[in-house]
Amino acid sequence: MYKIPTFNITIIGLGGIGSILCEKVSRFLNFNKDVETELTLIDGDSFEHKNLERQDFISFGNKAQSKKKELLLKFKRIQIYALNQYIDEDTVSDLIHDRDIVLLAVDNHKTRMIVSDHCKTLNNVILISGGNEYVDGNVQLYIRKGGEDLTPDLCAYHPEIRTPEDKLPEEMSCKELANSDPQLYFTNLTVATIMCWMFYNAVIKDEYTKSEVYFDMSTMSLDSKVRRVK
Amino acid sequence: MYTRDNLESKTVRELREVCALAGIIGMSRKRKDVLVNEILKRQEGIAKKKESETVTSVEATFTSTLTKPSAQFGNRASTTIRVSCGASSGDFSVVGKTVGGTMELLKEVLNVSRMSRPLVNGKQADGDYKLRSGDILEFLKPAGRKG
Repeated sequence: MYKIPTFNITIIGLGGIGSILCEKVSRFLNFNKDVETELTLIDGDSFEHKNLERQDFISFGNKAQSKKKELLLKFKRIQIYALNQYIDEDTVSDLIHDRDIVLLAVDNHKTRMIVSDHCKTLNNVILISGGNEYVDGNVQLYIRKGGEDLTPDLCAYHPEIRTPEDKLPEEMSCKELANSDPQLYFTNLTVATIMCWMFYNAVIKDEYTKSEVYFDMSTMSLDSKVRRVK
Repeated sequence: MYTRDNLESKTVRELREVCALAGIIGMSRKRKDVLVNEILKRQEGIAKKKESETVTSVEATFTSTLTKPSAQFGNRASTTIRVSCGASSGDFSVVGKTVGGTMELLKEVLNVSRMSRPLVNGKQADGDYKLRSGDILEFLKPAGRKG
């Protein structure tokens, strides 16, 4: 008998990008009758007044738990779990498993490196990671199937991710957390949208030849790259 | 032009890259023999089309640019190379120039940072590599950090 496939999707980071992305992906999957979805939201941060200009929440408090409540009101077909924690070397293997689809929307390269390195130990995984500066950004797609890289991992072409100069959120002082660089809502929105493109192409259409996309709002330009696995 | 032997010596991943560059879509899950046949078919199609057409004009794909129209015949056009950094890209007359020299020349046009590493045809290149016609040069832009 045919069994409807289940997507195990993990969204890590519910800031400017992740808070928009989880809503769009949930809507798409809730009304897609061909799949069942289990969605895990992970973020140890809280939604506060200072986040209002860029982040999409209807209640204050832990971002993962707040977003879970909001999504459950709209999307009844999706099983949603919320984890109030950050990812680090000790917890990553408990949170990301074989056959997961990981949408990584964090604000530091150290978490990107930890997640990418962990995914490299799995047999089958799809990792889509987005990040931005003030008006530009990029999205990367890392796919492993049968224990083989089909696209390069996040660090392969990015030494700044391989040897990150930044810290994990839990390693940062309150002062460092409060002094984060300014960001633009539209830039976060663009990254979230390109991550949706990647999700659709890689997960639904099984197309992954172009595994990195850059955009720049200031020049109104976008370019996608074919990357060789090293 | 690829021969069947030439294509069969490539890995499936390399064949998929050839398909992507040739604009052959829907090949991500196809077997090696299907990929080889599709590339040869596309190549044959292009060759037949060229044979059947009487040449009345030449269509360029930005590999050459008329840079000095009043110059002596033979010196009017220059070959250009695709150079990109992040979302910015363009075709520039840099054949024969070194990668390092090109970086210096285009750093403001393409917003190339000193941290950017050069890739020629997808592989890491040295600053003194001299660019050749048909090369594709990318200065790797660092990934966005925030979210």
